[in-house]
Amino acid sequence: MRRTKKIKVNHNSEFELDLAPLLAVMVKLVPVLLVSSAFVQMMVIESELPQVVNEAIQRQEQQPTVTNVAVEVVAKEGFHIVITEKGKDVVETVPLKDGAFDYATLHQKLVAVKKAHPDVFKIELSPDGAVPYNDVVKVMDEARQARDTNTKFPVYDTKQGKNVETNYMFPEIVFANMMEG
Amino acid sequence: MSRRRRYEPNIKKNSTFTLNITSMTDMFTIMLVFLLQTYSTAEIQITPDSEIRLPASSSMLNPTESIKISLSKSSLKIDQTKLADVKDADFLPQDLESKDANFIKPLFQELDKIAKAESDKPHVKEGRILLQADKDLPYATLRKVMYTASMAGYPQLKLITLVGE
Repeated sequence: MRRTKKIKVNHNSEFELDLAPLLAVMVKLVPVLLVSSAFVQMMVIESELPQVVNEAIQRQEQQPTVTNVAVEVVAKEGFHIVITEKGKDVVETVPLKDGAFDYATLHQKLVAVKKAHPDVFKIELSPDGAVPYNDVVKVMDEARQARDTNTKFPVYDTKQGKNVETNYMFPEIVFANMMEG
Repeated sequence: MSRRRRYEPNIKKNSTFTLNITSMTDMFTIMLVFLLQTYSTAEIQITPDSEIRLPASSSMLNPTESIKISLSKSSLKIDQTKLADVKDADFLPQDLESKDANFIKPLFQELDKIAKAESDKPHVKEGRILLQADKDLPYATLRKVMYTASMAGYPQLKLITLVGE
């Protein structure tokens, strides 16, 4: 009797994947991405400068804002939040805490101000000449957005015709003491 | 008689050998993921000045095309051109106007020149400025730059910051 031939199949055989085309693509992609990558990510804070005094006055006449919020930063004293409403000034003071600016209290007070005046988005910043730039940026950060994500303020959206909630407080910053000598 | 066969190593003369590139592909994949993460989508590139330590902020606005002014502890520059020296966190008296101590003459002249020469560009028309300044400089020094820029007709000031810590 003839024996049937058995075909040997090796189940443990290894085969090699051809990675050369994949490598070729990567070698091309890496330089492209290297060129367009930003290792230091930079953002901007928008602010407005009061241009020529006359123009600023004109603008104020055109849009008479009822409430005006100003923050004075004094290096040796702390913050003064001045709220001008119907010609009256209300001053709130945030003193220095252990010789440094108390940002947490400033933030709480600004949230309270925003809650009382949700239609105000502009803040007038008047830092003292001795205040370092870093602290000026920190004050803007505290004023821009509410840290607590649950804190929302109503904004009237003209496109939708209804109130929309936002956690932005005072995103418009104006350096008010620029023109003073 | 049994003849013992001599062992002959099996060498093909014209053989090609395959390079093991698995580890290299591995490395490239990691690099690719890392580079994709740092890929910048901003419309303009800002080269950070080595002398300037920028402040950190939580702002998430991307920079737009503007005139770039950089203020470090030693100099004031537009793009990469040095305009004035800074010493002890203040400008030198010869660069300032004698009647108005906030007015930086070389900066005003340069901004005025740009305003006249490139008046058709939208960023010049709107008066946009990108300011990078060292975080330790006092506000008084920055104010001089802002004041001069405002006088030269550039009221929109954008401050460059690093992404928050």
